[in-house]
Amino acid sequence: MDHTSPLETIFRRVALGVILVFFLFPIFWIVLMSFQTNEQILRIPPRVFFSPTLSNYKALISGELITTVGSLKLTFMHNLWNSFFLSTTSVLVALVLGVPAAYAFARFKFRLGEDIAFTLLSIRFAPPLLILLPLSLLFNEIGLSDTYIGLIWVYQLICLPLIVWIVRGYFEDISPDIEHAYRIDGHSWAQTFFRIAVPLARPGIAAAGLLSFIFAWNNFVFALILGSADKQPVTVGALAFVTAAGISYGQIAAAIVLSILPTLALALYAQRYLVEGLSLGAVKG
Amino acid sequence: MSTNALTISEVDKIYGTGSGSVHAVRDLTMEVAKGEIVALLGSSGCGKTSTLRMVAGFEDVSRGSISLAGRRIETLPPVRRNVAMAFEGYSLYPPLTVRDNIAFALKVARLSRSEVDGKVVGIARLLEIEDILDRYPGSISGGQQQRASLGRALIRQADLYLLDEPMGQLEPQLRAVLRGRIKHYIKERGLTAILVTHDQTEANALADRIAVMEGGVLQQFDTPAMLKERPVNLFTGTFVGEPPMNVFEAHVKGDDRQLSLTLADGFSLNYAADAFSHDVREELLKREKVVIGVRPYAVRRSAEGVPATVSTSQWLGDQTHIAADFGGHLLVLVEHDRTRLAAGEAINISIDPHNLHIFDLAGGTAISHGMELA
Amino acid sequence: MSGLELRHVRKAFGAHEVFPDLSLEVEHGEHVAIFGPSGCGKTLLLRLIAGIYDPDAGDILMDGRSILDLAPDRRGIGMAFQNFALYPHMSAFDNIASPLSAHGNSAPTEHVREIAGLLKIDHVLSHAPRALSNGQKQRTALARALVGEPKLLLLDDPLRNVDAKLRYEMRLELPKLLRGFDATVLYVTQDYKEAMALGHRIAVMSRGTIRQFGTPEEIYYQPADVEIARLFGDPTINLLQLQPEKSERGVHIRLSEVAVPLPDGDALPTGRECTVGLRPEVLAFVDADVPAAIPVTVEAETPLNEKVVSLVRTSCGHELLVSRPAGTPAPASGPAHIGVDPGRLLLFDPSSGDRIALQDAVSTRGGSTT
Repeated sequence: MDHTSPLETIFRRVALGVILVFFLFPIFWIVLMSFQTNEQILRIPPRVFFSPTLSNYKALISGELITTVGSLKLTFMHNLWNSFFLSTTSVLVALVLGVPAAYAFARFKFRLGEDIAFTLLSIRFAPPLLILLPLSLLFNEIGLSDTYIGLIWVYQLICLPLIVWIVRGYFEDISPDIEHAYRIDGHSWAQTFFRIAVPLARPGIAAAGLLSFIFAWNNFVFALILGSADKQPVTVGALAFVTAAGISYGQIAAAIVLSILPTLALALYAQRYLVEGLSLGAVKG
Repeated sequence: MSTNALTISEVDKIYGTGSGSVHAVRDLTMEVAKGEIVALLGSSGCGKTSTLRMVAGFEDVSRGSISLAGRRIETLPPVRRNVAMAFEGYSLYPPLTVRDNIAFALKVARLSRSEVDGKVVGIARLLEIEDILDRYPGSISGGQQQRASLGRALIRQADLYLLDEPMGQLEPQLRAVLRGRIKHYIKERGLTAILVTHDQTEANALADRIAVMEGGVLQQFDTPAMLKERPVNLFTGTFVGEPPMNVFEAHVKGDDRQLSLTLADGFSLNYAADAFSHDVREELLKREKVVIGVRPYAVRRSAEGVPATVSTSQWLGDQTHIAADFGGHLLVLVEHDRTRLAAGEAINISIDPHNLHIFDLAGGTAISHGMELA
Repeated sequence: MSGLELRHVRKAFGAHEVFPDLSLEVEHGEHVAIFGPSGCGKTLLLRLIAGIYDPDAGDILMDGRSILDLAPDRRGIGMAFQNFALYPHMSAFDNIASPLSAHGNSAPTEHVREIAGLLKIDHVLSHAPRALSNGQKQRTALARALVGEPKLLLLDDPLRNVDAKLRYEMRLELPKLLRGFDATVLYVTQDYKEAMALGHRIAVMSRGTIRQFGTPEEIYYQPADVEIARLFGDPTINLLQLQPEKSERGVHIRLSEVAVPLPDGDALPTGRECTVGLRPEVLAFVDADVPAAIPVTVEAETPLNEKVVSLVRTSCGHELLVSRPAGTPAPASGPAHIGVDPGRLLLFDPSSGDRIALQDAVSTRGGSTT
């Protein structure tokens, strides 16, 4: 039954508009800020119309920030690369480890199976600071501190639980009969896993991969403690704009815009998978 | 007029508005006599449930009128229509025992305790739920819930009983005997009932007349026997009947001595011209091609028939179902004896002209049934 | 040599023992219907044979050799599932070709087209499963099970999820299709008609055991117990609690005070109640002057698939269903008389439910009662 009065329609649109503004305004404002100088930004009242400048982006890309106090070396582009490298590698490693694990948790009943799965999830509940101190001591001891491998390893704490728990649900959704049928057709266990289970769970794998990429990208504490400037991602690198001469809001805004671009592009690209993937039951033929 | 319990006239039901609207029931007119059991039969989406819900009052009519026992009811709320209904989804009250569920409607009628008890036990015995009267709906099987729901509807005094898929969940072993008992119960008391079902077995077993619906349109409203003997179109012809009617396209040829219907080269059904009335012959000879239909039980094996080859013969205890290759078409025969036929065996088929249904190739409307025009 | 043999198979899940001790021997090329209510273990049985689960004890043999140490992909079995289990991300063609490509057949095209033609789905081979109708899905699943020409074909209620009309058509078509293959077939079903129509023999399962294993004739005419008698036949067999009486002419039972003789008088339990089974088609309306005509009252007449079923009541209050071919005349209501074919009467022990053998009824004869 679809009886919508015109009043209801109007109300619905207004509500949608309010929500849209609420969520998008900060991003919109940051994009505006990234094209302004610090003076323009700090002007009161702020203006929507101004003569845009690309100086913030120039400074970030060239790696040199000219302030009133002098010039400052910026490693932003390197941070961006670090973010990209750390997140991608972490997600790939987590997928390689997590997808088979998720399959095992979904398909096989084994001793302590549920407990192991839950322990993995509980890592997501624990505040990172809880494990950071012992971890940094340990990493210092075994020489993993300030290495990519060490960071990627620690990032598994973020990525693995997400991937295991999301993908597990997708595997559970596939009728076991489909896999049984493929086995009976004469295919080995491995063929069945790679040609039936994984392709059918692909929307879920994509969604889980994307989500863990975003979480990894946004991580701050692990990288702050366990990595030096050389290995730090953008989240930590942005701290460099808080300088003795004040806070360079323009560069921060530009840095934010640059750092959300990859995740935004990825999300837009994977949107189809996400929608398909997050609405469960999409895999049922 | 007084013999009509229910009159539905020119009723339409349209859901939604504009381009997204669905015309669920189109210009439906039907009359149900007092004491009659009528089945609304059709596949899902045919409009039968919408019709039932309009009669019950859960759905407004978009156009037209409904009268029950001489009163216009289409604008009355459900409680004032004096209609008893058994729902498809059982819808028993979970906090009440089966006994209280069944007695619920009688409490409103202010009967004495012993009178209510007697009635409940009576109907429970009929439906074989006597031993679960003190259980709660959650703890009984789907079939038992459905029987309890039927009991709750049948125990009431109402002008009309609406039964929505009343036996879909019933245990197969109980169905036949319950069909008999429920029919006896309704008939003995002269109650008027409408049952909605997609299962023609149920409709055939219980109903005096069946309304076959498709696409919101009433196709035919007739007794089960007439639906089988004189279907108005190919749809009812093939929809009603289990196993379904055999249908073939055939070329018509004939003169004033004989008439032949040719399915394929060498597969002709030849009839003397006087096997059909003059009008039928005239109608048939106007056409090059027609659709002929014959019910599986009306196909005979005889020495001088058209040759066919047995592909499968299946004995089901009480009937034998034989599938034969008949000029490249599948022909199904049903015999009431145990027939032992091997696959590949050659048989000869003959179809009595009075068992032949002939339909128009284009529109599917019936041209003739047996000797006479439809 | 038997095509398939199960020897004392035991299977339990935790504390729940599904098969305590199951044995079954199927001839090579034989079609056996496994019939039973849902939850009796039919489906698990197929999965044990296919190798999806392993039995806890016992052995499963194909052509005399144990297959227990073979993985599912090495057993040479074809299987069709109740829910079709098609690969949703592959076309119908690739679905059907799957068993062929698994065995290194690189050019399966011709073979797939041939089997698709047999099953009348050659026009939808490029479609994805979700674009197929239910009937086409079911045919694709059958084609996939058959294409590899397996020695053993397991069909797990493959007609369950298609509508009545398609199910009926397929039931008629299947035997013809299967004749083209030299496979031993196990066909699981909950529909007794499918079991009788498709099985050379029927294994009736209940609660993890095989209650009776025999030809459709044996099951229908000589059911092992009252439960099996109830499961086969539509309408269901009439069951009456009656006490056989002995007279100088032999043993008889009484219906509406009329004596109906029982075939064999010696081994019969007289003096205690028995369950008497009368199939509806064993009863027929007769004229009042026929000897041993039983007076009844017709309460309702309910047509059923080219038959008419009448609910009648004897003068002692017993309800009986009487069936007859449609079109044969009979009173629709009121007083009438029925006759019984004593040769087809069944007798069961009231406590164990087991059938009590009657001498004349043992012959498996066909024919109507008229």
